[in-house]
Amino acid sequence: MMAFIISITIFFLALIVNESAIVGKTTSESVLEFPKADIQDLRNELLYLIEKNKINDPDILFDIQSISMSRKGAIVNYAYDGNRLLIHYNDGITEYNEVYIGT
Amino acid sequence: MVNEAAQLYTIEGVGAAILMVVTAYLVISSTTIFTPQDTHISDMQLQQLGSDALAMMDIADAYNGKSTLQLAIEGNNSQMFLQSFSRLVNSTTTAYDDGLKFNTMVYYRTDSSGIQPFKLCNNADYFRENAVTATRWVYITPPFDATLPFDNRDQVVLVEVLLWRN
Repeated sequence: MMAFIISITIFFLALIVNESAIVGKTTSESVLEFPKADIQDLRNELLYLIEKNKINDPDILFDIQSISMSRKGAIVNYAYDGNRLLIHYNDGITEYNEVYIGT
Repeated sequence: MVNEAAQLYTIEGVGAAILMVVTAYLVISSTTIFTPQDTHISDMQLQQLGSDALAMMDIADAYNGKSTLQLAIEGNNSQMFLQSFSRLVNSTTTAYDDGLKFNTMVYYRTDSSGIQPFKLCNNADYFRENAVTATRWVYITPPFDATLPFDNRDQVVLVEVLLWRN
């Protein structure tokens, strides 16, 4: 009776070992795919540009949009109306929208 | 009835029990199964290290001052970039430095020819090792060094560092 129970347990553990390969792949992939560093860096740069009073420069908007598209494959758009900063980021997998109040 | 005929049964039973318990213990104790896909973990750590080092270099020392990264790009100063990035990325808590190598490119936009790369600083040649990239936006203002091909205006460029371990 004990042998029967233990053999069922061993079978169950072997099943867990088998499925661990698939679990490892999807969780580590989702960590790598999420553009955390890109979004944080973009926010930081835009808030710095507000301090430098360059946020409405159209040349700088073209710089950020074209370099972002050509190097990272991400669409970036932002606008500042004196009070609120609107940020839009989309890299095809993750979309990020923000309204920043309090500059 | 007690006689020696059952001794073999007993020994066989005890042996089988020990075998099964040892097997079950081995299976349960091997919980750190390192699958081939877990190489992403070390890549992610390396990428976070590079990203943090660039973030530290992009902070100005005084209000309205320029950061190390901004000064290195505006003056085309590859020694300044190399020393501070290498110090940030290769420092350890022991007496021996780490052995990370990197190549740095700056991507900028021009009105005449679109997005162009500019090589800022390499501390080793890249021969197809397993590498990650860390990037940072930098805001630069003229006057630029005469050797730089940037347009003469305030602009934002992207610094891309390719980072690998030998």
